Amino acid sequence: MTSTVVRASGLTKRYGSFAAVDRVDFALEENRIYGLLGRNGAGKTTLMQLLTGQLFPNEGELEVFGRTPAEHADVLRRLCFIAESQRYPEDFTPKHVFTSAPWFFENWDAEFAERLIADFRLPVKRRIKKLSRGQLSAVGVIVGLASRAPLTFFDEPYLGLDAVARHIFYDRLLEDYAEHPRTIVLSTHLIDEVANLLEHVILIDQGRILLDRDAEEVRGQATTIAGARSVVEEFVQGRPIIGREGIGGLASVTIDGRLDREERIRAAELGLELAPVSLQQLIVHLTGADLAGATEKEVAA
Amino acid sequence: MTAVATATAERELGASRLRVGEIWRIVRLLAVNPTIFFGVPWMILGGAWAVTMVLALIMTGAGAPMEEAREGFRYSWAVLSPQWYLVVVGVQAVAYTFSFALGFGSTRRDFWLGMSVMFVLVSAEMAVAIATLVQLEQLTDGWWIGAGMFDALWYGQLGWGFDFLSTFVLQLLVLFVGASATTIYMRWRVRGMMVLLFGTVALVLVLVASLTFTGSWPAVWAWLAGLTSIGLILVGLAAAAVAAVAGFLVIRRATPR
Repeated sequence: MTSTVVRASGLTKRYGSFAAVDRVDFALEENRIYGLLGRNGAGKTTLMQLLTGQLFPNEGELEVFGRTPAEHADVLRRLCFIAESQRYPEDFTPKHVFTSAPWFFENWDAEFAERLIADFRLPVKRRIKKLSRGQLSAVGVIVGLASRAPLTFFDEPYLGLDAVARHIFYDRLLEDYAEHPRTIVLSTHLIDEVANLLEHVILIDQGRILLDRDAEEVRGQATTIAGARSVVEEFVQGRPIIGREGIGGLASVTIDGRLDREERIRAAELGLELAPVSLQQLIVHLTGADLAGATEKEVAA
Repeated sequence: MTAVATATAERELGASRLRVGEIWRIVRLLAVNPTIFFGVPWMILGGAWAVTMVLALIMTGAGAPMEEAREGFRYSWAVLSPQWYLVVVGVQAVAYTFSFALGFGSTRRDFWLGMSVMFVLVSAEMAVAIATLVQLEQLTDGWWIGAGMFDALWYGQLGWGFDFLSTFVLQLLVLFVGASATTIYMRWRVRGMMVLLFGTVALVLVLVASLTFTGSWPAVWAWLAGLTSIGLILVGLAAAAVAAVAGFLVIRRATPR
């Protein structure tokens, strides 16, 4: 039996006439790793701020652990959210952050935090203002991991992290998640970096959810068909097309959906090449649709 | 079959509305870097004291009549020097620490209550220390060289108790005014600050106009002159309380930056 941790319906947050989050419906199940993906300004941070009670929605319903998060201490003590642009008290150092964390997170593991500090080589006595972008991300990552909050948010954890640090985050998260399962929401626009971590993908663009699906399903969901333009066009006729590219007489079209065995054989007979679509490519297709669609429509017409 | 994981908790059912742990941790968070509330005010005060001492030494060296000098020191504002800094501390508590505390899962309510406890503690600490230093300064006859810093303005006239109360109230007022004005920004951003600014100016103008046209100024002056020292302290305390309550109401719907 799975438990629902978050349930949102018609959730909306407006700034004047601009809807940062626009009537979204979704649910988060217990003990899964979610990727909250989308371009810059898509509404990822706003959505997380709503879920953590930092913002008040204009419309819609939101339940986190069974009730509205804002101002409910019993909900908030189960959450951990260090925003990418988190503000810290004046003259704070990472040391101050890690000293005060156990007062707020009942599952805080100080030893684990120490190990992570060493792994990331974080200078704990340097003022937060003086930290590099990567070191700042490391502070958020360490709090997120060591707090072991039942619902943990990582907001752009990879921002500025070097290759080694990214690898450390990846490893430690999976290790610790295996031992202490919890619900994790990873927001990022660096999709390839996290693709293998995710169990479920929520894709948001212009405040709306474009995709809310199991990551495995998403990975095999789309197919790219490449070959001679006329042959490709005929083959994809009637299928949901999410992207088109082409040079001269060659075309490469991405369709939403799998091909069955028969279709694959037919494609091979027609001399078409089939290729799986990576999560990143799929998302570029889905969210960059405006751009690609505009140029291709003219060609199609 | 899915179920909803609820937080109608174990511990919440029997717990009282006043969550002592949740409020106290905010006090600790504000004090985790003790320089802000305790270090800097004393550095400012210490600096002002050092300057006063040097001034007194120069005056003695120049052969100035020390009786008159003592009188001159009464007009020194050095004892109030940390006040300006503490307005900023009040502002920063809400501008920075509030945003941080929300990220750590505090409620707005618990943050404000914890911050208020911190303000009371800091004000009491400053008040005890300053009132005691006034006594010491009098006892040592100006730190043995006739310097005067604490025994100035209204201090040193009505005893330790009055010095304590007046410092305590002034400190609270300064901290809460800084903090509650910032809650306006945290809730309504720049537009809120503009409304606050112009609103305050308009209110003052209306007040001045109505007092002038009704010819009530003499009555106002009479009321002010009639206020006892304790009356003044009570007015200050009331103002601090208004700022504290207003800030609480505003911050309940404020959003972090």
